[in-house]
Amino acid sequence: MLKTRPDWLEPLFPWRRHALVVNGRRMAYIDEGPRGGRPVLLLSGNPTWGFLYRDFIEPLTAAGYRAIAPDWIGAGYSDHPPRDASLTFAHHVADLVSLLDQLDLRGFVIVGQDWGGPQGILAALQRVERLAAAVLMSTWLFTGTLSKFHRSPKPWTTWHAPLIGPYMMKRHKVLSHHGPTALTVRGMTGEEARAYHHVYDEPDSDAVVLTWPRTIPVTEGDRGWRDMKALEARLDELADIPTALFWAPEDPVFTMETLERMQQALPHAEEPVLFDRARHFMQDDRGADIAAATVEFLDRRLGGGQ
Amino acid sequence: MNFIEPLPGELERLRPDPLIFEEELDFLPRAAAALEQAAGGRSGRFYWRSRHDHLYCLELGDLGRGRPSTAAVFGHWERYEPRPPEHEIDRDLMAFHLWFAAAAGLDPEAVGKVAERAGLPGSWPAGAVLRTPDERFANLPGFDYEPRCAVVENLRAAYVEAGSGDPILMLHGEPTWGYLYRRMIPALSKIGRVIVPDLIGFGRSDKPAAPNAYSFRAHVRWMRKFIEQLGLERITLVCQDWGGLIGLCVLAENSSRFTRLAATHTGIGGVDRKPGEAFRKWRAFSQRTRFMDAPRMIARTLVKRRESIGADELAAYGAPFPGPEYQTAALAFPRLVPIRPDHPGAFQAAQAAAKLRKLDLPVFLPWGDSDPITSRGRAALHDIFPHAVAADLPGGGHFIQEDCGEELADLIAAWMQDAL
Repeated sequence: MLKTRPDWLEPLFPWRRHALVVNGRRMAYIDEGPRGGRPVLLLSGNPTWGFLYRDFIEPLTAAGYRAIAPDWIGAGYSDHPPRDASLTFAHHVADLVSLLDQLDLRGFVIVGQDWGGPQGILAALQRVERLAAAVLMSTWLFTGTLSKFHRSPKPWTTWHAPLIGPYMMKRHKVLSHHGPTALTVRGMTGEEARAYHHVYDEPDSDAVVLTWPRTIPVTEGDRGWRDMKALEARLDELADIPTALFWAPEDPVFTMETLERMQQALPHAEEPVLFDRARHFMQDDRGADIAAATVEFLDRRLGGGQ
Repeated sequence: MNFIEPLPGELERLRPDPLIFEEELDFLPRAAAALEQAAGGRSGRFYWRSRHDHLYCLELGDLGRGRPSTAAVFGHWERYEPRPPEHEIDRDLMAFHLWFAAAAGLDPEAVGKVAERAGLPGSWPAGAVLRTPDERFANLPGFDYEPRCAVVENLRAAYVEAGSGDPILMLHGEPTWGYLYRRMIPALSKIGRVIVPDLIGFGRSDKPAAPNAYSFRAHVRWMRKFIEQLGLERITLVCQDWGGLIGLCVLAENSSRFTRLAATHTGIGGVDRKPGEAFRKWRAFSQRTRFMDAPRMIARTLVKRRESIGADELAAYGAPFPGPEYQTAALAFPRLVPIRPDHPGAFQAAQAAAKLRKLDLPVFLPWGDSDPITSRGRAALHDIFPHAVAADLPGGGHFIQEDCGEELADLIAAWMQDAL
């Protein structure tokens, strides 16, 4: 686990770093805003960390919400165990449940992108009476084929193929040191790119970056299949949960086709809000706008942060 | 080490968690060979259950060198739940290391000494267990029994007892404690040795503060160890609410210690899977509140004695909970009731239900007519025990021991004398 943040990061990400032990490993998170405010969990995915939500912290806390951005085990400033077996779908879910329990969060909101969607929602379902609302963007909650991006043997499935995966993803850090910059629409500064990349600077710290794509449950028997099925089977329990879908039509990873399936899976969700000039890391491309939309949605559906 | 086969369907419910990973055995070939001998194989997975009832496995890998070359150890936890307290895992691993040291011709005593030097395997960390101050229990109306205690996994398990003869074990549930049975102890202590424990997290018993200390499995294990420690045999089990969820599993898994069962206003998880509206509302409330006002809750749930119960009697239900930090167990209970087949605890409860069906011990199901929470539980139990004798208590609500305590005690006493 990275102990201290580099000085150059402070101006971009000034919030205090907290950590607690979940399932024997240290999970880092930031926790800003009033203690009594409604907790909003900001959940990132592969290969990012809480930094992805930096534009959300001030708008949420100014509106009275308590903004909590944990880094999944294996990512960001959390512990980076080196093996797949510690980084399964079920592990991530149990890790977040442990955080919910230890912080004793009630009436919380899940904001999830990429793996933050399925892992966040499956964790929330374990404490479903405490879930108040969900905001989902560029993510998915079901088994089966996703977009052309995921079907394509060039480059995605090859990147994480057996034996080739560790060479590409671990030895050459193809995703952890090049992912967010490859998809940015607005263009990142050098320091922003470094902020995403530096958490994987240590050798052998990239396991989760490889485990995650290998867990995407496309066909039965895939590693994440059983857990995603368990999630799908319980989606009807969300029927009374206010749900927003924020989508980027230009996103090649989770396309408008995926959005349609999200709407079928969550028929109670509000009409999607579309953000142009954004791709998969839409919180980075359009952070201020999506944060404002999040606050508007939560204020309107939950009556504010207090 | 007693290696076992996991039960059918058990593994897919659990999350394998690597505790020791990719350990190389080749640097000590004689230990590797001894391990193969002791495990009964050179490769594959060898499972065992620990003293905490957790399922572990030793995974051996064969690289063609004539002995196992790699080893890993996994714990298995409820798939999406936080794993149990670390000291439980430490103790279980230490038991494994001692076994391995003996099997491999190493020195178990040395392993013990190294562990001792390192401060392992440890117990509950400082501050992890709360104990309600004794003065909170001074001058309880109608409950002038000397508090006793057993020690279960370094936790104080409090109980009271009265009378002599075969034990009559009476188990309370949410969010009460042994005080609930005070109106029944006088009549039943005339025909047996009444033992009324407080569940861990309740009453005068110790209260671990962390939510992951509490699970369906842990409560069943703690009660089994309590019974073992007191050496109880020929037990008549009287149980209500969670006292039944726990007690019925303990009975099923240790049936030779029990001779009779009187269950009231309870159920068995994994069978009665679809909870009614009243339970769902209660569960939702319990997960949102930060402090459960036990006296008020009980007052509102009482039927026959709602008006006549004394304020000091109601206050006794609040005695164990000086503040919200004492209520981890009470707030967890509604969430831990296994209401779906994939719910933690449902598997254990379903296994227990299957065992109970094969038992022919006398079963008594006295039930009040005014309890929306467990109205379905009795039918489920009658289905498991078709030979059960039923009795109806008009004006009896969920806390039947308060509403109809003396009447219920008399019914149970009469049934006990008829039944055996």
